[in-house]
Amino acid sequence: MPTRAIMIRVPAKMAMVIATLAALAFQPAGGQSAKPTTAEASDDASKSNTSEVAKTLKAAAEALGLARWSGVGGQRLPEVDVINTMEIWGSGTTYGPGQSDKPMSFKTEYHAALGYNPPAMRVEMTRTTSGAPAQGGAAPQHTIEVVRDKYAWDESEIGAGLVTGKGTATPAMAAVNNRLLQLWILPYGVIKAALAAGDKTKVSTEKGATVITFPLNGQLADVMVKATLDAQNEVAKVETRSDNPALADMITETEYSDYADHGEIATDVKSPGHIVRKQGGHPVLDIKVKMLDANNPYLVFPVPENVKKTAAH
Amino acid sequence: MSRHFLTSRSIVMSALLCLLPALVFAQNNGGPRMDHENTLPPTPTGPTPMTPDGHPDLTGLWNGLADNLLGVPNQMHNVGIEVGTDTTRDIHSGVQIATWPLQNRTRQNNEQNERAATLLRRMGSNRPLYKPQYWQRVKDFDANSNEEDPSNNCMPAGVPRMGVPSYIAQTPMYLIFIYPGQGGLIATATSYRMIPTDGRKHTNLEDLDGTWNGEAIGHWEGDTMVVDTIGFNSTSWFDQLGGYFHSENMHVIERLHRDGNTLTWTATVEDPDVLLEPWTTTPRVALLNPDPKAVLLESLPCSERDFAHVVTKEHH
Repeated sequence: MPTRAIMIRVPAKMAMVIATLAALAFQPAGGQSAKPTTAEASDDASKSNTSEVAKTLKAAAEALGLARWSGVGGQRLPEVDVINTMEIWGSGTTYGPGQSDKPMSFKTEYHAALGYNPPAMRVEMTRTTSGAPAQGGAAPQHTIEVVRDKYAWDESEIGAGLVTGKGTATPAMAAVNNRLLQLWILPYGVIKAALAAGDKTKVSTEKGATVITFPLNGQLADVMVKATLDAQNEVAKVETRSDNPALADMITETEYSDYADHGEIATDVKSPGHIVRKQGGHPVLDIKVKMLDANNPYLVFPVPENVKKTAAH
Repeated sequence: MSRHFLTSRSIVMSALLCLLPALVFAQNNGGPRMDHENTLPPTPTGPTPMTPDGHPDLTGLWNGLADNLLGVPNQMHNVGIEVGTDTTRDIHSGVQIATWPLQNRTRQNNEQNERAATLLRRMGSNRPLYKPQYWQRVKDFDANSNEEDPSNNCMPAGVPRMGVPSYIAQTPMYLIFIYPGQGGLIATATSYRMIPTDGRKHTNLEDLDGTWNGEAIGHWEGDTMVVDTIGFNSTSWFDQLGGYFHSENMHVIERLHRDGNTLTWTATVEDPDVLLEPWTTTPRVALLNPDPKAVLLESLPCSERDFAHVVTKEHH
């Protein structure tokens, strides 16, 4: 903040002239210095798909505010994916198994902290059934579910199990795939994963809407993703499926809508304002987003030693 | 709270933001490079000069890429993001980051550029690991850095936040490090350090009054200069951004290695009071000023004038 000794009172019109001249002097001359990426250096024969995929993903990345110019200040640098960590706060309804065919619903406060480098997510939920405990409703359930790479665990409090006497971390290795999937089917994860899938990513049109299909990788390699874009190139719907019986619970359908910059500190990163998800055909989540911090906040996901030991066995 | 600056103020700031590289470039007389085409470390060239006592000579003006804290490309380099022409990599994790060629970029206005810069400076994966009870504090400090940053109001950046010295003078008994004052992300007054290399030991920590730069002592480990520093106050933050606070028990070990016309610097921060484990910066590589006649110019006086006009939490 300080210095700014160069800050002087300049009439607004003069400042606009200065800004324009500065921009002209230091913005790069487009098209002169950069080579095309592999995806965009297609020949005519393959142009229909390769260039269409690249163009579609770029449009979707820009619609989210994920692709941003790294040469701020006038450098001849490319656009890069700037999203690593973020936090989402929301409230709404989540669903669990009920006593009959009808799932049980919970009023839910939702908070997700996540990162893509490394891939990790901490979902904290407070769920209450309808009616106060005195009226027959259950006491609120508070859960913290974490995943990082190949590790999953539950925390009794944020950061449990890292410092002696501070909470308990309970390994939950069976939940790794399901929790990682939640990370990769968020709109940002979809674009990142589609870009990472390279030639395996395809673009088509269904009912006038652009559709991107691609496989995930790593332990989710058998999961196929189908993402439908809306007219603003925002990810509107994400469906996943797997032919692998071991990944049978990976059949999901998530709808995203009401996109906006929901940050208290503006970032120009858009997030959906409404998230509705089904898993295995059943509703699991219906959340209205209250706030998003996309400014790559300080979020860390160290794996507790007892979780590593459990995974090793 | 309004999300916008006062309009005229915003225009003035945007204009000056655009002009800043021009001012620096002009002031440095064609020496320091501001026109980056990438944030890759420079490739060393030329021999490494040696002193009569057989050590590499670190003497020189190490601002060939301009001051290491100045400009988004340098700041991205500092957090370990290597941006090439058509590839980008996080050095710490090795992860490849999606990149789109410059020629197809979508134009951004100055406000969008500032917001992008905030994200770009924070996208690296090499983050210190605090004890869980401090996670929220770090996050809050960073989110509110317009008010909380201890370097505001022209206070020193401190060690190791100052990063690579812009000038080093090496004598048989001392190293002299000079850090010119600057505006921008970390606005500080000019600072210097006089670092004994005569084999002396540290003063007992209990006998030191904590300061911004601490008590530094240097020694050679092979061809690497190791600067060991203790005796800090608990006011400063230890990296360029991020709200990385520390205790008075912080211990910093800097390593400087010269290879031809490049100087590689790292700092390891030990602070068991607040960190789960020691943290080491991603190596920063400074380039020798190619002009043998170059000198450090007088820094602009540090004078806080903006703060009263800031009405959002956006970073600048």
